[in-house]
Amino acid sequence: MEVAEEAGEAVLAYALAAIADEGAGAGETAAALAALCDVLALSGPDLILAIPSARLAKRLPKLVAAGDGDVPLLAARAMAEACEGAPQWAASFAQHGAVEALRDRLLAVDCIELAEECLRALDTISTECPDECLKGGVAAAVLQFFDFFSTNKQKVALQIVSNIFNDYDEEDAPTVMEAVPALCNLLQSSDKTILESAISCLALVAAGTSENAEHMGKLCEANAVEATMSLMGNEGWKSLSDDTLTGILGLLKNLASISEKAVESLFKLDFCELFKQMITYYSSSNRDNDKVQMLVELIYQLMLPLGASEQHATLVTAKKNVIMGQSIYMNQLASIVALMVQIAKCAALSSLCYNCVAVISNIVELSTPDFLMELQNTVNFSSFLTFLLARKNRHIVFQALKISRAVLEKRQQFFLETFTKEGVKHSIDSIVSQEKNSSHQSKRKNNMNESCLCFDLESSSSGEACRIENNAVMKLAEDIKKSFFSVKGSKKSPHKFGFALKSFRDFFVRLNVHAATPPTENPDSCKQLSDLSRRLLSDELPVTSTFEFVQSGSIKCLSINLSNGAYCNTDLSDGQDLLGHLSEVQSRLQKFASLALTVPNDSSANPLGILVEKLLDTLHMCYDSFPVMLSDEQSTRESMMIPLRYPETQELKSLELKFRRSQREKELRNYNDVLSVDLFSTPDAIEPVLFPQICRRTDQEPAPKNSNQENGANGSTKLGESKNDKMTPVSYPDEGNRSSKLRFLYNGVILQPSATFFESILRLVNKGQSDLLIDPSFWDEEHYITYRKRNRSQEISSESSYNIQLSHVQENLQQAWLKDPFFTAILLGKLPGDLDVSDPSYNLLFMLKVLEGLNRFLYQLLMDEQISKFAEGTLQDIDDLKVAIYPVPQHQFMSSILTNKLELQMQDNLFEGGLIPSWCVYLIETCPFLLSFNTRWKYFCLTAHRSFMTDQVNNSPDQVNNIFDQVSGHSDQVKNPPQTKKYRVSRSAILEGAVSMMTNHGPSSRIVEVEFEGEVGTGRGPTFEFYTTISHELQRAGLGMWRGDNCEDGFIHASFGLFPKPWSSSGTQGIDFSNVLQKFKLLGHLVVRAVLDGRILDIPLSKAFYKIMLEQELDMYDIPSFDPELGKTLIEFQALVNKKKFLETSSRTSNHTAVLSYKNVKLEDLCLDFTLPGSPEYELIPGGSQKIVTLDSLEEYVYLVVDATLKSGIAKQIEAFKSGIDEVFALKTLKMFTEEEMERILCGEQDAWALKNLEDHMEFEHGYDMSSPSIITFLEILREFGREEQRAFIQFTTGAPQLPLGGLALLDPKLTVVRKQCDGNVDDELPSVNTCRHFIKLPPYSSKEIMREKLKYAITEGLGSFHLS
Amino acid sequence: MALRRIIKELKDLQRDPPTSCSAGPVSDDMFHWQATIMGPSDSPYSGGVFLVTIHFPPDYPFKPPKVVFKTKVFHPNINSNGNICLDILKDQWSPALTISKVLLSICSLLTDPNPDDPLVPEIAHMCKTDRLRYESTARGWTHKYAMG
Repeated sequence: MEVAEEAGEAVLAYALAAIADEGAGAGETAAALAALCDVLALSGPDLILAIPSARLAKRLPKLVAAGDGDVPLLAARAMAEACEGAPQWAASFAQHGAVEALRDRLLAVDCIELAEECLRALDTISTECPDECLKGGVAAAVLQFFDFFSTNKQKVALQIVSNIFNDYDEEDAPTVMEAVPALCNLLQSSDKTILESAISCLALVAAGTSENAEHMGKLCEANAVEATMSLMGNEGWKSLSDDTLTGILGLLKNLASISEKAVESLFKLDFCELFKQMITYYSSSNRDNDKVQMLVELIYQLMLPLGASEQHATLVTAKKNVIMGQSIYMNQLASIVALMVQIAKCAALSSLCYNCVAVISNIVELSTPDFLMELQNTVNFSSFLTFLLARKNRHIVFQALKISRAVLEKRQQFFLETFTKEGVKHSIDSIVSQEKNSSHQSKRKNNMNESCLCFDLESSSSGEACRIENNAVMKLAEDIKKSFFSVKGSKKSPHKFGFALKSFRDFFVRLNVHAATPPTENPDSCKQLSDLSRRLLSDELPVTSTFEFVQSGSIKCLSINLSNGAYCNTDLSDGQDLLGHLSEVQSRLQKFASLALTVPNDSSANPLGILVEKLLDTLHMCYDSFPVMLSDEQSTRESMMIPLRYPETQELKSLELKFRRSQREKELRNYNDVLSVDLFSTPDAIEPVLFPQICRRTDQEPAPKNSNQENGANGSTKLGESKNDKMTPVSYPDEGNRSSKLRFLYNGVILQPSATFFESILRLVNKGQSDLLIDPSFWDEEHYITYRKRNRSQEISSESSYNIQLSHVQENLQQAWLKDPFFTAILLGKLPGDLDVSDPSYNLLFMLKVLEGLNRFLYQLLMDEQISKFAEGTLQDIDDLKVAIYPVPQHQFMSSILTNKLELQMQDNLFEGGLIPSWCVYLIETCPFLLSFNTRWKYFCLTAHRSFMTDQVNNSPDQVNNIFDQVSGHSDQVKNPPQTKKYRVSRSAILEGAVSMMTNHGPSSRIVEVEFEGEVGTGRGPTFEFYTTISHELQRAGLGMWRGDNCEDGFIHASFGLFPKPWSSSGTQGIDFSNVLQKFKLLGHLVVRAVLDGRILDIPLSKAFYKIMLEQELDMYDIPSFDPELGKTLIEFQALVNKKKFLETSSRTSNHTAVLSYKNVKLEDLCLDFTLPGSPEYELIPGGSQKIVTLDSLEEYVYLVVDATLKSGIAKQIEAFKSGIDEVFALKTLKMFTEEEMERILCGEQDAWALKNLEDHMEFEHGYDMSSPSIITFLEILREFGREEQRAFIQFTTGAPQLPLGGLALLDPKLTVVRKQCDGNVDDELPSVNTCRHFIKLPPYSSKEIMREKLKYAITEGLGSFHLS
Repeated sequence: MALRRIIKELKDLQRDPPTSCSAGPVSDDMFHWQATIMGPSDSPYSGGVFLVTIHFPPDYPFKPPKVVFKTKVFHPNINSNGNICLDILKDQWSPALTISKVLLSICSLLTDPNPDDPLVPEIAHMCKTDRLRYESTARGWTHKYAMG
């Protein structure tokens, strides 16, 4: 090495000398340069720096400029080598005219090699000395002969340009502009990287001179707008990279803000359509909030700065003229308003909402009165404004007030009226009065915390103070009130308003009175009331504004009415007649359900649906009750990605809490030490750790030591982080009677025992804000928590005794809906948990919970009513014992705002670590229906690992250990990255193999991978196949697992889904029962793996079985869902039993046998005995096979059959199944899903039929063949059907919702489509079916739309009456 | 339970046999019966004797029996496999019905076919548009298959 180095030095010395010799010939210089290049290329930066630079730096540029032959080329190369080796050289070269020399060579293009060498040299020089390069006009030069360069060099050229343009001085803009046309030309390039670089260069150009209209105008002249827009057009934006798109949007935004030409170009290109698509795409489930934000800002810039500052007055007018000049442009804007309103309404971020509102505000400002009225047809401004005015955020309120004033100025009469009806007037009034009353100081303090939202929108105002002063809102509100509301002319407007209010109030008063008197005493009022309520619910409600709805107090009235006065009644516990209360609530709910949920003849909208809509609208006004908390570690998580269900190794954030004794506290010792707790820790969790340490031994209280002996095994731990060396074993009382002994306070405020310290502190620190951005310093601070002893209060225990009493009563009830949490809620008149009753969202959540429950149990409720009608004799024929139900679709209960808010929260990286606001947990547990399925699924995936029953927690995987783990700060639940574990299974003994595999795998958090014995395949394919095969194996006939005898090819075909077959405790024949249990356990394991590993099971479990999985109660009404014939008969029997009971109590004669026959057959003649239908060996009572069912024993029989079918007969199987799940994770975490959703999780989104060869499995007859236009359309429509629709279609045509294993292909007879002969208008006809033959008669409709509509109508109509037979 | 009920129905049938049909177990298996139906005199099936098999499900009478024609019949509601499209054999079944009632219903189905809800659309079409041809074909089939 040394030798080489020395040789190098020698060469260098020679070269330097030769180069320096100005008299040397070209050949000599060239040789010297070549030698120099070689040395430089081989040397490290140290050596290069050691070269005496001064002369060389002077000489090389000259040689580039003036040399002959190869000299310039070699000189340029030498420069490039030197700069690349040691960037410090770049500056010295630049000093000596290198930039100009290189530029001239580039422009001369006598030799492409030379030019490329120049580029190389300029690459580094432009990084080091961008200013010199810029002034030297390098950018334009580099782009001049761009096309001649190789692709690699083209990239270098653009790199140079972007180096030069990065952060240039405004005064250099003219030089910059010279390069613009060439850059714009490059936008047509097909090379992606070149395109991206060109765009980023243009964006830099625009960013540097954003204030200068003239220069921006030049950009426009170069067609920058057209070129970028055409890149994004035709869905092109989807294929652009993130950076490129950001660049384009930034460029357009800068252009639009300063140049009216750009604005005009954008309008000409109909940007609205494109932007609408993009915004819709990016805003759906918070896909990319930043993009939405950018797009909205861009739109805002189009109209800014309207009236903002005087210096831009000409620009404002120019823009205004452009936009208002063409009515098409205004229409384009109009089309965007609806979208803006929608985004603003469900935006989880205040800033996004603000931006949208600002855009709308600008559009409104621009509108003419007539145009405004046109807008009003698509958007209800008034209700939108009410919604905005309910926010806490002053910026949003201010903008909303601005819009209010603008619309009032334009159309005073109309808007005064709607403002009154929709509540805008009310809101403004209350803003004025509220601000007047509140003391100014306290208000101002809160406001200071609010981060300014103007900042994003108006680039010019950066660094300045917030434009909206503290009292601006107040001033504006007062101004509006003064100039508009005091006008006397508005007196006649509120005619409609008062009426709606009054009629609602009246109605509820009468409803309460009515409920107090038994219906039999006053049949007239009963009729009147039902007429009235029908009119109210179906005629009045739809036209009532949300504001009127809230103001009328209907929600509270309804809550009180339905709960029989229990709602918000605190002294409920005092020895009330629980049973009486229960049956009263039950009957009120039933009455309400039949009023609100039965549709009047002309299948108009369901009153309940409208009620729910109003409730959700109102709930959305409580935006600030659900604050999102974002840490500074902003979302790197791809929002659309379904997160891993296995935890990744992650550093957990922890919180430093310093515990101190309260000054008033004398009994306890002072702890005065810092505990590092994780974010999940709650006062409840910390107390058992802290209490023993601060408890004085002399204490009168029963020391924890005593109780410790009783259940000491329950779990003891040490305090991990605490330096205290005294480890006191702690006992942990059962959850049921745990009552906290300590009160924790932060800044004098008592903390809720069940909310995390973290959240409580954060909320107290950022008082009154809707979105909380966590300051980084929050994590480093020590937070002082004081504690004191808690005074025991008796009320709690008495309330819980009431609850215990209730749960006893509920246990003995037959109907499942009476045991559902929703019923418990209405019965107690309160939501579970310790929610703040005074929060405006409370009664809405309460009502929504109740209505959702009603909706879910609609069939049960209405059927109950039918049965009692039959019993009382108002319904004569037992065959009429049916109901058609029109439930509100589940998705109508979903709240877009709350879903968005949770999505946003989940995007935070600290979410898994405990950055979960308590409202999220509460909604997931209590009101999951408010959140979309995707969001809940994501939540499940992010939190699932917390419910793992890991084997690390030694013997008792109960909560106690978990809590201590959390307290000590380093959770022991090992967070392995997802690993796989391979298993080998033999195809011939797959069931046995699966059982042993799953048992071995146990609760391990590794992904199971399967390969088959003797086969080479490995990985996903065989694993997927394994799950499919094993699912099929579990459906083999003769396993004794499932009901049903309908076997095809050795497999059970359960048209209504699989449900466990009851096994009697005594008699078993043929099959070993333990085998059955083993298989159910296996099924449990499979379910776990399907959920955690994302596998798909191909097993058609029945809805009722999913209900069991989700720990819901089943009752008689669930039987028809898997066994329609048995279910129907049992319901009829029950009706007969009730009728008998009714007759016995109401009249004295006891001989009713004539009336009480079953469809004119005496019950004895049915020859039923006390065995389970289908299983003669299953005796319902000892000796049951000898006992005939009579009218008198019918009740017992029905009870026993239902019990055996749903409970006692399958209890062991269910237990085995659940144990398979519970071994791995807590079953209750699945409760946030519905049956249908659970099925989607387990069985995937697979289609009910293979779409590709749909036509291969169908036949077309009687006027149709494969090429008939109607058939082609028909097949198209079928392919477009979603899963639910496919289901409905199959149910409609075959009578059963499930196709046999193997799908449509194995349907026998084949699905056949025939032409329906129509006498009248074809489009009035509906398709009809013959389910025996799997036959659909399809009229040849005139259009696809009509066919789709009719088909949908037919299949969903059929669904509604699914329970009919 | 099912067995008790089936035995009772058998006894009832023997005690009070319906005029146009007879039924009984094929062998020792009480769940598998065979029945004969006389073609009703006022129908094109008149004079024919139709063989029918009956399978009782284990949860009879909660589930309907499976009734299939063994003799070929030309009828819009009975297909070539002998399957019958009759509401009381499907969703209109009720434990209050018996085999004898089912057989009577089949008899009246022979007399009054229901071409509006067909199992064999071709026959239904003929029945509606060309009644005479339908009747003569049915008569022909009865001669050929049901009078052996």
